[in-house]
Amino acid sequence: MKSAGNDIVALSRVNKHRTGQFNFYSKILSIPEQELYPNQQFSKLSFVNYVWLLWSVKESSYKYLKRLIPELKFTPTKFVIQQIENSTELFNEVENSLWQTPKTSEAFYCGKVLHESHSFYFRSKISDEWIATVVNDTLDFENVWWGIQAIDETNHYHQSKAAKVLLMNKLNSLFTDNLEIGKNSVGYPVILTNSRDLDIPVSLSHDDRFVAYSFILNPLNNN
Amino acid sequence: MDRETVLVELKKVMAPYTENKEMLEGINDDTDLIKDLKINSANLVDIIIDAESKYNIEIDFESAAEMYKVGNCIDVIMKKANQSA
Repeated sequence: MKSAGNDIVALSRVNKHRTGQFNFYSKILSIPEQELYPNQQFSKLSFVNYVWLLWSVKESSYKYLKRLIPELKFTPTKFVIQQIENSTELFNEVENSLWQTPKTSEAFYCGKVLHESHSFYFRSKISDEWIATVVNDTLDFENVWWGIQAIDETNHYHQSKAAKVLLMNKLNSLFTDNLEIGKNSVGYPVILTNSRDLDIPVSLSHDDRFVAYSFILNPLNNN
Repeated sequence: MDRETVLVELKKVMAPYTENKEMLEGINDDTDLIKDLKINSANLVDIIIDAESKYNIEIDFESAAEMYKVGNCIDVIMKKANQSA
């Protein structure tokens, strides 16, 4: 069964002082992850951004796995990053204007994360304003679509609605049928056409002024 | 320390992290922090840290994972506070 998982962290909402405190970051990072930070590969990444990069990877992985294991509870330290490296590889689909920011301010990371017997691969991007991650269960991200958008209103209702609109605008550009978004019995978003579940795993995320989606779709299979 | 006292204090701890102040006033054991109070999942860590500081307790990873409903939060806080008393 396929699933989808994404996350976005708005850096303006991050409490830098608290993030740097051991009693905070030790609830997110496992001990090997805490020890990994001084590694040379993170020389351009602040510790605060390192913590929230790993948070976004773990949260995305949890969302992916929760769909498969509904009773799963989120314990960040149980999602353990096995590999993480800088990447020059672009995502296949990002449609926010911030993507056009100068290359010097962009940072890409990719790697592998484990949760017990499950393994995931992630790709993350860090801008000056946010950290965004998508995960998949294979190294291949060709079928993973994702997008980010800045919004004006930051109340929960508006964030949730804006994330759905962003997702549906993208999906409707790929399908000729009229699509709707609904919820399954567990509470996950599902994509419907004429009340029929199209079985497209989608994931939505929002934080402060940013909303994001990801979904799994083979470009050759849509109608 | 009784459950009602912890509940009153818990409302103060959660207040900075939810925009749904009306629902916060009426929370009970079954109130879900994410689904009902719309608390950002990242802020759950803040709530745990604030609760640790307020009650001078340490909440381990396993216990923290249980704190998704108000009743669970009160259970964990009371258990940890009793252990450290």
